[in-house]
Amino acid sequence: MNRRKFLTLSVVTAMTLPMVAMATDYRTLKPTAWTAKSVPDAVKGLYGDVDFIKSDDIALKMPKIASNGGAVPVRISSDIKAKSVALFQDSNPESAVAVWDVAEDGIIDYTLKLKLKKKKSGLDTKVVVVVEGVDGKFYTKSEKITVTTGGCEG
Amino acid sequence: MSTMKIKVKEKNGIVKAKVLISHPMFTYIQAKKRSTEAKFITHITAKVEDKVVYSLSSSQFLSKNPLIKFKFHGKKAEVLNLTWKDSTGESVTESKKIK
Repeated sequence: MNRRKFLTLSVVTAMTLPMVAMATDYRTLKPTAWTAKSVPDAVKGLYGDVDFIKSDDIALKMPKIASNGGAVPVRISSDIKAKSVALFQDSNPESAVAVWDVAEDGIIDYTLKLKLKKKKSGLDTKVVVVVEGVDGKFYTKSEKITVTTGGCEG
Repeated sequence: MSTMKIKVKEKNGIVKAKVLISHPMFTYIQAKKRSTEAKFITHITAKVEDKVVYSLSSSQFLSKNPLIKFKFHGKKAEVLNLTWKDSTGESVTESKKIK
C-alpha cells in the first residue's frame, strides 16, 4: 500500500513539475496576435486596447538599409522594468515577430535576426517594439528600414 | 538535423549568451513553393536550475539558422539548459556550462 501511494505521488509530481517551470507561451495564450495582418491589429490581439507612450528609454538598434532581407540583425535594450517585450514589423504577411517574457530580475538586451520582405514601390518598413512595463503602462519605439533584397520569398 | 551552438560567458555577475540554432525556418510561403510543410521555431526557453532566464515566443519571421543573444544574472559553473520547440512539434534541448 505504501509503495503504491509513493508511486502515484511521484508520477503526479513528475507531471506537474515541468508545467510550472515552463515559461509563458504567447502563441497558445494569444493566438489572434500571430495571424493579424497589421501592426495595430497584432498589438490589439496581444495586449488589447491600450494607450502607448513613445519612449526613448528603449534602444532599438538595426541597420538603416538592409541589403539582405533574409537576416536583419535587430537589438533591443532597455532599463524599463518590464513584464514582456514584443516586436512587430509591417512588411511581412503577418506582423508579429517575437514576444519575450521577461523574468523578474531579467535584463532586457535581446538580439535577434529576422526575415523582412521587400516592400513595393520602395517604401520603408517599420519595425515596432512594445514594452509592457511592470507599472501597467505600455512603452513603444519604432524605427524605419529600407529592404533592398527581400528575404521572405526565398 | 537540427543542432545548437551555445556560448555562455560570465562577467561581473552578468552572463552573456549567444545561441546559434541550425533550423530551416520555412515560412508558409516558402513551404508552399517547395511543396513541404511550414517549419519554424515557435518557442525558445533558457533555464538555469528551473529558473527561466529567457523565454521567446516567435513567429515564422526569424531568419534561417537564427542567432539569438541575451543577458541574464548568473554565476560561473552553473548549467544553462536551452530548449526550442517548432511548429511541427519537434523539440530539442541542449545544455552548456557557464564559463
